[in-house]
This record gives sequence, C-alpha cells and structure tokens, in this order.
Amino acid sequence: MNPATLKRIGLGGITGNPIAFAVVLALMALLLAIPLTHNGYIELVFRNILMYAAMAYGWNLIGGYTGYVSFGNVAFFGIGAYCSAILATHGVDNLLLYVLLAMAVSAVFAAIVGFPVLRLKGHYFAIATLGVALAVTDIIANLDALGGTGGLALHQVDEAHFSIYYYAMWLVALGSMLGTYFIARSKLGYAFVAIRENEDAAAVLGISATRYKIVAWTIGAMMAGAAGAVFAPANGFIDPSITFAIDSNVFPIAMTILGGIGTVAGPFIGALLLAGANELLQRFFVKAHTLFFGAMIVLIVLLLPRGLVWLFGLRGGARAWLKSLSVYKA
Amino acid sequence: MNATANALVIEELSAGYGDTQVLWDVSLRVEPGEIVALIGSNGAGKSTLLGAVSGIVNTWSGGVRYGSAVMSGLEPDRVVSAGVVQVPQGRRLFGSLSVEDNLRMGAYLRRDREVDADLEKILAMLPRLRERYDYLAGRLSGGEQQQVAIGRALMARPKMLLIDEMSLGLAPVLVDQLIEILARIHATGVSILIVEQDVQTALEVSSRAYVLETGRVTLSGPSAQLLDDPQVKKAYLGV
Ligand SMILES: Nc1ncnc2c1ncn2[C@@H]1O[C@H](COP(=O)(O)OP(=O)(O)OP(=O)(O)O)[C@@H](O)[C@H]1O
Ligand SMILES: [Mg+2]
Repeated sequence: MNPATLKRIGLGGITGNPIAFAVVLALMALLLAIPLTHNGYIELVFRNILMYAAMAYGWNLIGGYTGYVSFGNVAFFGIGAYCSAILATHGVDNLLLYVLLAMAVSAVFAAIVGFPVLRLKGHYFAIATLGVALAVTDIIANLDALGGTGGLALHQVDEAHFSIYYYAMWLVALGSMLGTYFIARSKLGYAFVAIRENEDAAAVLGISATRYKIVAWTIGAMMAGAAGAVFAPANGFIDPSITFAIDSNVFPIAMTILGGIGTVAGPFIGALLLAGANELLQRFFVKAHTLFFGAMIVLIVLLLPRGLVWLFGLRGGARAWLKSLSVYKA
Repeated sequence: MNATANALVIEELSAGYGDTQVLWDVSLRVEPGEIVALIGSNGAGKSTLLGAVSGIVNTWSGGVRYGSAVMSGLEPDRVVSAGVVQVPQGRRLFGSLSVEDNLRMGAYLRRDREVDADLEKILAMLPRLRERYDYLAGRLSGGEQQQVAIGRALMARPKMLLIDEMSLGLAPVLVDQLIEILARIHATGVSILIVEQDVQTALEVSSRAYVLETGRVTLSGPSAQLLDDPQVKKAYLGV
C-alpha cells in the first residue's frame, strides 16, 4: 500500500507525465502570490479554480483511475459546505475544524452510500450517483434546520482577513493533488487501475474490487468535502441551488477529461484552463460566452482526445500530433 | 517458483449463480506434481468450477481444500496467497498497461523481495514477452496475450495453476508453443489443472482427466484411457 512495497514489486507508478506534474507544482507555487494583487476579483477567480481543481481530483480517483464515472460527487461538496454552515451557525469559528468535520462526514456518507451504489457498473452506476446527488439536494432543501431552500448565512470574516479562504482553498487543492500523486505511486493506485482495466482479472489476482472501489470513492469524497467546507464560509452564504449547482457537478468532470484523465497533472490543468476561460469569456462576450465555451470544449476533445497533459509527452512535434489524430479517426 | 507439494481436493461441490445451479456434487482432485485436464462442452460449468476454487463464485455446498487448508469461503486474495492461481478464460489482461506492468500486477499480493528475480525467470521462459516488454498488452496478438496471462499468473508464485481455455482462438502452432511452456512450468514443480476445448491436446498433455457434462462429472480416469474411450471419441474428438 505504500511506495516501498510498490517498489518491491517494481511498478513505476501511474502519475502520468513527470514534466507536466513539475509544471503544475510550479504553477501552484505561483498561485500562492495571487492575494498579493489585492484584487478581490482576481482572488475570487483563482479561488474558484483551486476549488474546482480539488473537486476534479476527487472525481479523478473514482472516474479516472478506477473507471467508475460518477455524477454524484457534488453531493460530497455540498455535504462539506453544510458541515461548515452548521458549525458556523453554532458559533464555531475555526476553518480547520470545518474542513476536518467535512472530510469525516463526507467519508462516512460516501462509504455508506458507496456500498450499494458501487455494485453497479457503467450507465447504471452513473445514473445511481446522479440520483444520490439529487436526493442529497432534496433532503437538504427540505430540512428547516439547514435553512431549507432559503439557505444559511455564515458569519463573514472582515475584509482584511479575507485571503485566509484563498490560502485554505490552495491547501485543499494542493492536498488533493499530492494525495493523488502518492496514491498513484502506491499499490493502491494500481489496484484502482486494475479495476478500471479489468475487474475480473483484478479479482483473479486477489485485488478486491469491492474494497478498492470504496476506497477510491471515499478518498475522492473527502477531497470534494474539504473544498465545500472552505467554499461555504468564503462565500458567506449557501443554499441548495448554489451548493449543488450543475456547474459544480459537471465542471470537475470536464476539467479532468480535458486536462488528462487518470493523471496527476490533468485535473489541475483542466481546472485552470476551463475555469479561467469561462471567466474570460464571460467578461468579453456577455451574451455568447457559453457558445464559445462549449465550442472550446468540443475543440479540445477533438484535437487532444487524451487531454492537455498528453502534449507534455509529445515527441516529434506537429507531425506526431497529426498522426495521433488519424489514429483516433481509425 | 519452488513449489511445496499439496493436493487440490474438490469434494461434492455444488455452486451456481443466483438461484440457477450450475455444478452438482462435483468431486475432483489434482495430486502434487500432476497435470489434470477438465474437459466438457460449452456451458458445462468448467469456468464456474475454477471460479469456485478461486473464490470468485460462491460455493453452495461441498468444499475445496488445498493441502490441509480449506479454500471454499475464502476471499480470492487468500486463495492466491495460498498458491492457487488462475489464468482466466479470455486472458483478461490490463489492456492499457504495458506487458511489464501486467506481469508485475501478478505479484500484487507478494511481500517478498524476489519479484525482479522471478520476472527475469519468467522472461527467460517467455522470451517473446521480453521483445514486447513496453507494448500495451491490449495491442498484442492473441498468442502473445496468452503468454502475458500465463506469465502474470506465474508472478503470483503459484503452486497450483488453473488454466482456463488456453488454446481458444489460437493457431495449432501457437498452441504447441504454449503446451511446451506448460511443460516447462510443470517441470519447476507446479501442479496444473487445465480446462480445454481442444480435447485431444488436453488429453495428450495430462496424466488424468475429468469429463464435466451439465455440471456433473460423468467420466474420469487416466488420460490415455479416455483418449481411447468410445464415448469421448464420439462426443469430443469427432471420430
Ligand atoms: N456470471 C454468471 N452469471 C450467471 N450465469 C452464469 C455466469 N457465468 C456462467 N453462467 C452460466 O453457467 C453455466 C456454466 O458456465 P461456464 O462458463 O462455467 O461454462 P464453461 O464450461 O466454462 O463453458 P465454456 O466452454 O463456453 O467456457 C452456463 O449456463 C452459463 O450461462
Ligand atoms: Mg469456460
């Protein structure tokens, strides 16, 4: 389960392209400087990028490495957000506590729900996870204790300390990224990939799909839960429609796929590109931005079917790239 | 691959899926150092039997022992750790992993430090895989893929190898190659249970054989004898 035993059986790890990972780490270091701009808008944009990145990492574990395409991870994000809100309305004002509770509750919820849901495969699994997300939304919307559809207001920190949420989200994103890196370098990561590649073969080798699917799903849930826990106080107010927004469900999936599914660098690159582009397009094309945004996604999928990370490993320049396209057509 | 000798004993085993019973009181044994063949037509329950041994298919009654250890009811990882390893029907490789990684995945449960040494031995036995070391397993030819599947199982250090339909879809010359490989594996002290469509080959390489028909053992005995059995000749050898 740890890199040492992995080394013993000689597997090199499935982290993806090392250069891409190095670039991503460098970008993460740069992002630490964003609050120095003292520009609230820029900080918000990048905090959202970090938030989506953490959610994308959470999705990547189950959807990318393990191959179970989930449409329910937003539930964990929402649960995390509501954990913070509940603590905040009870006078607890400690961001670390928010995050820890959110991760614990998301993990327990994921393990319980995962047990029946992860028995399903393919389309059935996808639909069932969507059902989980809808059910959680509905339950929260109907719980008066959680503010119902009206939502909950969290006490706002004064302007001077606002960047605390930015740094917290940065840490959550970094933790998700490094967590993914170490998992991908461990036997655990190989168990996930074995399940994705061939569940029957995994079983024959003694790799329990039931066990490792739950592990992938639960760790991913903790990443999304932590992101939600920081989002709620940073936003100052949450309600079911903000917390369980369709964007929060679909963006992390699109980001992971466009960035590079089943890689360590992919989710971050995807989040940076998609959330960044979405923001820019909204600024410059007030009306048609969704059209451009959609077109951009289609273009990336067509031109870089293996995700942007793949570009880092490209040898032979444009010719090799063109060749890759013709391979895909065939 | 230093095998400690143990007998695989299947006793009065019944098993199935949902409420459909597939196996009815099947008894079969593989003595240490033996090659035993299990033959039978499509849907007879051969793969189900191997699945029950591997802990993938639930057993309803009866049992499986390996030496003195009870296998029935164990999780698949315990069966593999005990030294009973299956090469599944249809190869079931990890298609987008390299040949090397497929082989190493076979060692997933191992904690010893001899994995690299074993890998070297296996590559010496299956030189074709050395040539294809960095290829994605899914891109290999059928014969090469079968070699990967066998090599992957060997990486788990089996003492008892269960091989399901090794020859399926392969040209006779490739089947001959694989049979030679099996002989070499056997020579290292590994006992083998082979399930085969190619009944002629199965009976030629094994010392004893069982015939499974709709979930029941209907015939068993020395393979040479079954080769001459009129019933077997008619049903499986087409003569
Ligand atoms: N996972 C499963 N769920 C339900 N029924 C199954 C399952 N696997 C096999 N069966 C049924 O069990 C019976 C025996 O199948 P099995 O695969 O064991 O036969 P086999 O002897 O290996 O056949 P073949 O030579 O075609 O591989 C068949 O009727 C099959 O339809
Ligand atoms: Mg079969």
